[in-house]
Amino acid sequence: MVDDVLVPMDGSEMSEQALEYALEVFPDADITVLHVVGEPSPMWGAATGLALADDLEEAADERATEVFERAREIVDDAGTDVGLDTAVELGHPVRAIVTTAGEYDTVVIGSHGGTIADRIFVGNVAEKVFRRSPVPVVVVR
Amino acid sequence: MALISKACNRVFVGAWTIGPQVIDTLGDDLVTDTGVFTLASSVGVLFFVGLALFFGNYFGVPASTSMTAVGSIAGLALAADALDWGVMGEIAIWWIVSPFIGFWVSLIIGRYFYATLNRRIAIERSEGALFAVDRSGIAPIPTLSETASIREAGGIVLVIAIGCLMAYSSGTSNIANAVAPLVGSGELEMGPAIIIGCFAVGIGTFTIARRTLDTMGSELTELPLTAAIITAMVSSVLVIFLSAIGIPASFVIIATMCIIGLGWGRATRPMTVGEAVRGEESAPVSVGALSTDEEGEELPPIGEEEEPEQIPKASDLFDPATTARVVLMQNVVPAIATIGAYVTFRFVPIFGL
Repeated sequence: MVDDVLVPMDGSEMSEQALEYALEVFPDADITVLHVVGEPSPMWGAATGLALADDLEEAADERATEVFERAREIVDDAGTDVGLDTAVELGHPVRAIVTTAGEYDTVVIGSHGGTIADRIFVGNVAEKVFRRSPVPVVVVR
Repeated sequence: MALISKACNRVFVGAWTIGPQVIDTLGDDLVTDTGVFTLASSVGVLFFVGLALFFGNYFGVPASTSMTAVGSIAGLALAADALDWGVMGEIAIWWIVSPFIGFWVSLIIGRYFYATLNRRIAIERSEGALFAVDRSGIAPIPTLSETASIREAGGIVLVIAIGCLMAYSSGTSNIANAVAPLVGSGELEMGPAIIIGCFAVGIGTFTIARRTLDTMGSELTELPLTAAIITAMVSSVLVIFLSAIGIPASFVIIATMCIIGLGWGRATRPMTVGEAVRGEESAPVSVGALSTDEEGEELPPIGEEEEPEQIPKASDLFDPATTARVVLMQNVVPAIATIGAYVTFRFVPIFGL
């Protein structure tokens, strides 16, 4: 029985599909959407922008709002009455997801997210999570 | 538009005053025999610079024009067995040293002075236009609009001034990179080359720059204004300095290292300068502290004890391995130019080397 599902979302279309899939396949589970902010970028702007914020947590939450709002819309559209939890983590997406994953039964993740540049700098997040996660991973494609 | 033309102006001033130093290095000193710069080979060199930068832009990997230009010329010189290794070594050493200087300066600023600077610079953008035009007199006089504060106007002036500084520094370096092979070949005199180079940069800025600006622009807008100003200033000053001593400097890499330094310095700040001076939270290096520690007892890593583990830590944002990877990636585009130029000039016989 899968009770707690972690769905890492980067705001990409694939990550939205992952959430839809999770809602469909685990209709009774509690779903937590994780968004990682301040990820590595070509000139490190996102991370430094966060690090320089007066209130790190507040700034991190603010950057995640859009993704969470979209996630809630998806949950509403699915028509299930599951509660949606949200979590914000900082830094490298793979590390953040793998560290968080231990507290859940399953991770449901989209097969890829952003642009070629993201892949060059961060690598394929889904692939690395799949390899390093302590719990089973469902890769949605 | 007015800003862009102003920037183009600065680019020209920079190219005219300090640019020739860099052109000499690239078009003359870097090769033992300037005979390698035939018209055909100069065009080939510029082709590889353009091609590599195009790939960089296309994939969103920021790349340094300077490194790419040097790489391409070095590829040519290597193929023709005319590379001056001494000059190449000097340039390469500065390429390694200058980002570190930028990193450390920004790190110190980020760690100890950022909060103060941020309060000083803090610009609240008010609603409405910044300036109003007072038409009551004989001549229209621009004045501050009612909603704008003097501080705000000062801030905008500061931002424009720093924009000019950046443009100046880019002129010193980038124009030189673009025209150096042509000057080296003797096809163009220094003066006309700089003017043509600036003209071309101007056209590029007005037409396709948006695409190129995307990467850098989106990165810089992630930063608070104060941080962007510090980054721009530190990296511009470094680039101007390097250009003045004839080193084709890499603005992108220096700026990246400045951003990382600033953020990392801020993220790892253990205490304010005041606290440090007063000696609060004494570091575990004093003799007294050492002697009270039981043997085998695990010391908390420096700077970690103040935050409980659950709270996201800013230092999580700066994973050394990933940072290194990002910085290394910026060398890929110059490497493409170098290898492309070398292979072509070495094995394609049309250049007469």
